[in-house]
Amino acid sequence: MRVHISILVATSLVAVLGIVSVPLAGFTEARAQQVDQPLPAYNPYPPGILPPDLESELLRVRREVQTIFQRYAAEWRALTPPTLTGQPPTLFPTGYEAVRILGGLLNFDENMSPFRNQACASCHLPYTGFSGPIPSVNLTMVAYPGTFRFRAGKRVAQRYTYSPRFPVLHLNGAKNPAVGGTFTGGNFWDGRATGYKLQSADAEQAQHPPVDTQEMGFPDTACIALRISQAAYRPFFERVWGVDFDINFPGNAEQICSTPGGAFGTTATPIGLSAIDRTKANNIFDHWGQSISFLESSNDVSPFTSKFDAFLRGAYTLTADEAAGRALFDGKGNCNSCHLDGVSTKLTPGQTDTGTDNETEPLFTCFGYANLGLPLNPRVAIFYQSTPDGVGFTPNPDGFRFRDLGFGTFLRSGPGSAPNPNASTWQSLAAAHDGQMQTSTARNVAMTPPQCPTTEAPGPFFQKEFFHNGYIKSLKQLVHFYNTRDVFPFNVTSGNCPAGKTEKVDCWPMPEVPDNLDMTVGKLGLTDQEENQIVAFMQTLTDGFNPANPTVSTYKNIDTFTGQCMTGGNASTQGNQTLIPTFSLTQFPCATDVCGVAPVPSPFKIP
Amino acid sequence: MNRLLLQLAIIAGAGCLLSSNPIIAQILPPQKRAEHVEITNGPELELALDNMAIVRWTTTNPRGDDEHYGVVHYGTDPEDLSQTAKGHIRLNRTHPETIFRVRMQDLKPQTTYYYTVNSMGADGEGDGVKSPINHFTTPGPGERITAYPQPK
Repeated sequence: MRVHISILVATSLVAVLGIVSVPLAGFTEARAQQVDQPLPAYNPYPPGILPPDLESELLRVRREVQTIFQRYAAEWRALTPPTLTGQPPTLFPTGYEAVRILGGLLNFDENMSPFRNQACASCHLPYTGFSGPIPSVNLTMVAYPGTFRFRAGKRVAQRYTYSPRFPVLHLNGAKNPAVGGTFTGGNFWDGRATGYKLQSADAEQAQHPPVDTQEMGFPDTACIALRISQAAYRPFFERVWGVDFDINFPGNAEQICSTPGGAFGTTATPIGLSAIDRTKANNIFDHWGQSISFLESSNDVSPFTSKFDAFLRGAYTLTADEAAGRALFDGKGNCNSCHLDGVSTKLTPGQTDTGTDNETEPLFTCFGYANLGLPLNPRVAIFYQSTPDGVGFTPNPDGFRFRDLGFGTFLRSGPGSAPNPNASTWQSLAAAHDGQMQTSTARNVAMTPPQCPTTEAPGPFFQKEFFHNGYIKSLKQLVHFYNTRDVFPFNVTSGNCPAGKTEKVDCWPMPEVPDNLDMTVGKLGLTDQEENQIVAFMQTLTDGFNPANPTVSTYKNIDTFTGQCMTGGNASTQGNQTLIPTFSLTQFPCATDVCGVAPVPSPFKIP
Repeated sequence: MNRLLLQLAIIAGAGCLLSSNPIIAQILPPQKRAEHVEITNGPELELALDNMAIVRWTTTNPRGDDEHYGVVHYGTDPEDLSQTAKGHIRLNRTHPETIFRVRMQDLKPQTTYYYTVNSMGADGEGDGVKSPINHFTTPGPGERITAYPQPK
């Protein structure tokens, strides 16, 4: 308890300063070199894991987040306030606009973190399709630093776009749940936001980062209610949701909410609230998630305005390469078997595709899960966080013994995931899902800022990262992986391909999780040109295309990137300069809290 | 109206609003299972390293559950195929045939393995096919066998 008290004292000043914090736009370069938190940074990383420009890039992102927050604030002030009308009462006539704008305010509000330095959007900005906004992070540590610099998570920041379209996680086709079935829906790479309670996987997804120790890092969900109660837009929240904030927060609540999660042991509710006040805070927390989910389903995030959408309605003609790429996407490449585009799949030349374009707007996902066999990426930040930070919290006690079993770990309620709300039925199925990650929509996979018009070297390009562990650094590599994973397999780990072989070109290291490999892909027989054509087709899935003015994106807030593009190299080996040898898997075998929980991974041992 | 009722009403209204998305528009029901499924090609070795091998075969489209598994029962004794490996795929609904591929891990080098294959839906129901027993031999350390040609 002494530790907790000292932390509270140390952070009380922060709480006061935070309330009167000012925008960062006027920061000098010298100030920008300082870590933007009151406690010493947590830096357990060996040299080379954190990118050298990390602090200045974090501050750049903060300025961009604040810019967009101010834009939503302007929309809020300009909005004709809705009024409750009818029975049941409806927010008339601007209810849709009100919920969307409120979602924007919440999503871009940096006050929703203990040190008031991180919003949801800090890891998800519009110009990347709401995925990671820092090229050097995408190239190195994969996961993004949280409010407590430099704690960081274990996976790539997933795109927001179309995430509200994923249904509540459920098991399809299981006559006998003990045997199996097809898991469908949920949010997050590992599906841990099921949607079972709010009946929206996406709304529940929005509830995780605020209390994830590696992200926004509040120690208590009630901190969301506390910080919204201090916000200028509080009356707007009250109007939209009909709640008030008459919660009797204890005197130390601000201090607690200014302390990063993990400082209070395993206590989930360090703020002492009465049962009634806890219910009110929970209610506000639910509306937080629903507001952000509505934003993400709106045209601000998911507008169905890609070239492909224009093509479907006859307003755009695919180029020869795009059309060839589409045929390959549906056919020889077999992408369409999971990234459903509304057209049936054909695999070999000479076969006729008898499918028709979908009557709905295709989402380019089957809402399912697959283990694509990505190698372990030793650059992922979580591996290095095995020592206590400044508040006595150890993010990853397993260190190099951590393995990412994805959906399987969630089904076991394992480390780094969340409790499985249907464990009584589903945990027994975990071994059949080890290594599986969510099949993301292919929409907006290629979205970049206008001044860096591609993800592909030599560019000018914006460096993104792909798949759950960021091992892949370009779309060319992504397609080549699907195409040749089983043509160039080597029994080595990343960074250790044999002499004369080039990793990601003619050497694919062994999968991190050898069980449940997806075998729909791995040997597709695509030529180099065909790989490029599939990339060209994926680039037609970027929202913001205006047939009347095709060189200017209409995607909201895509103009906010103020960083630098990259140039040089080629897409096949893009990012290979940052490969590092993987630590010894023999010396650091899979931890017992990951691989030793029943039902244990099978049939193959996870190295 | 008191505050609680107002709040409940707004929650209900917003819930309808939020759940109006066509979120399950693309989830199709499982296809009717094919009455008869047969192997049209293979099974045969696609690739082998000293510690792993991939076996592939083609069947008529079994339909049923989109999520399917190729299953290989294998061992070093043709009378004891007690080891099992499964390969997860998604079916192509309109394709007349389906390619199954299964990867076996943790094999011993320069060892002959015997195997037979079948397939099943994610719901656990088998497709009713089973191959004769076939075999392959893994190469020595550092070597590889590329037995199946690159698809065209």
